[in-house]
Amino acid sequence: MISVGTTAADVRTFHEDVIAECENGIPAGAYADADFAHYLFLSAGGASTLSRALHGERRLHAVSGLVPLFSWDEREMAQEWGVRFDALPDDRPFYAHDGAMSAARIVHGEGIMQFVVGPVHAGIIESGRFTFSSGGETIVHLDAQLGYAHRGIERALQGALPSQAAAKVARICGGCSASRSYAFALAIEALADVEPEPEIELVRLIVAELERVYNHLADLAASASGAGYAVGFARGMALKERAMRLCHAACGHRLLFDAIAPGGLGRPVLEDRVPFGAELAELERDVHLYLTALFGTASMMSRWERAGIVPYETAKAFGAVGPAYRASGGSTDIRTFIPYGAYRWLPPSVACGASADARARCEVKRDETVESFALIRRALHELSDASLPPQRPVEPRPGRALGVVEGPRGTELVAVHVDERGRIERIHVISASYRNWPIVARAMENNIVPDFPLVNKSFNLCYACADR
Amino acid sequence: MTMFRRSIGIRHLVCGSCNGCEHEMNALNNAFYDITQNGWDLVASPRHADVVTVTGPMTEAMRTAARATLEAVPRPKVVVAIGDCATGDGPWTGAPAGAGAGVELAADVMVRGCPPTPDDIRAGLARAAELLDS
Repeated sequence: MISVGTTAADVRTFHEDVIAECENGIPAGAYADADFAHYLFLSAGGASTLSRALHGERRLHAVSGLVPLFSWDEREMAQEWGVRFDALPDDRPFYAHDGAMSAARIVHGEGIMQFVVGPVHAGIIESGRFTFSSGGETIVHLDAQLGYAHRGIERALQGALPSQAAAKVARICGGCSASRSYAFALAIEALADVEPEPEIELVRLIVAELERVYNHLADLAASASGAGYAVGFARGMALKERAMRLCHAACGHRLLFDAIAPGGLGRPVLEDRVPFGAELAELERDVHLYLTALFGTASMMSRWERAGIVPYETAKAFGAVGPAYRASGGSTDIRTFIPYGAYRWLPPSVACGASADARARCEVKRDETVESFALIRRALHELSDASLPPQRPVEPRPGRALGVVEGPRGTELVAVHVDERGRIERIHVISASYRNWPIVARAMENNIVPDFPLVNKSFNLCYACADR
Repeated sequence: MTMFRRSIGIRHLVCGSCNGCEHEMNALNNAFYDITQNGWDLVASPRHADVVTVTGPMTEAMRTAARATLEAVPRPKVVVAIGDCATGDGPWTGAPAGAGAGVELAADVMVRGCPPTPDDIRAGLARAAELLDS
């Protein structure tokens, strides 16, 4: 699954290798450890890594000048892992430095003004700072500065046994906890050469799709709220509450924390399937009614249309993933691109859009919500009343592995290095939100200020898993 | 003034939470919990707040903004720590993250849970309203 090419060639050659690999596969991100810089790529059926020894100098030629999606990764490698880049286009510290964030990038010019939102936001929203440069109502540039939730989790997890780390990995980000736990489990299971039983995989599929359902409902409700449509917001949030209660009915936790763990499950899941199935059917019926009403509201649609357009070329160049990429004409969905678990025999039909605006992103989420219910029903049917096998011990061998899944917001990737003692030597998380935040900034260009809430909420990204 | 007793304005302050507590804080406004029926309001500015809810272990980047936000709240004010990270019992407590936002900001009420349920949070807010009354 993973190939490591340690080349003795010079810095320039490695740079060219990475650029060449970007043509063949989908660049997924990059990170550094004590000895290497690793650039990750995804292709149909697998993931690969291009690695280069950093030696004492720790010097590299930045790739982000040509492939902008690596910009945040390389800034992070520079600040946190001491990689010295040549030709790094944006060389500001990525995280707070000496208690302060670096200055925002602003646009100067006649009639251009700047205004700042955050880090403390007016609603119940994670912390982040958005600096807008605008000419009248039209946004010319948006610098989205994150990092306010940077807890240093990757260093905090070094030295932990994977079994101990699982509960912490589940708490990196609340909104995509199950997806991250799933990606972490896949990586650890690959190193332990363990493959969970089909019944376990069916349950994990149900957990992952429940996460998609409650997130997409919240996103659609928030997108309605961003356009000032109170009924769409209130009904959507009530349905999200019911979805969270369904999560609780499935595993005893409203946000599915610890449901998935290396080797299988981290807590009892779906022990009582009959009442769960009945509640699921009721929720599915009401969600269908909601979606029909929401997308049948002409004033709602006209607010979403042409708001926050992200052309396909921009989405690709800046590394959009998930619904954000598929709404702009992309088609990659990890569940079918690199199938894992029960998706290998229960593949979803992949939802795509073409208009590349807030409406397309909401339509992709609508179609995915409908498909998630269908997947859960199919998995429940296949599971029937089968009892779940007991949890197996997982003992990873030393090495590195990548776990990749399709979370609600797109590609969720966890890279894990395990040392000779079976402990985590290095863990790196690349979340769908981390990849998509720069897209939000691009989406706002040439849009009016009052459309920021609805464009932003059509992505509805997390901060915690981007900041880590 | 008695008609305004226990009617509180709540400002939320996120100091490195995982967003789990925010999902549950947001639930307070949905049709199931609807805290506006208690006379409680989630307000956009600290100037309008009586109660500040804080989440997260506290991060380096948020420390200054968090203190400025609290400074901006008129007295009397009550700080409520929401969730294990804020109360100092979370998975990221300690270096490199902080000791807990509620610990660092001397919270008056501690609501445990990872995350606490909306009912737990509502109970913590009721306690905050009582403290403001006394």
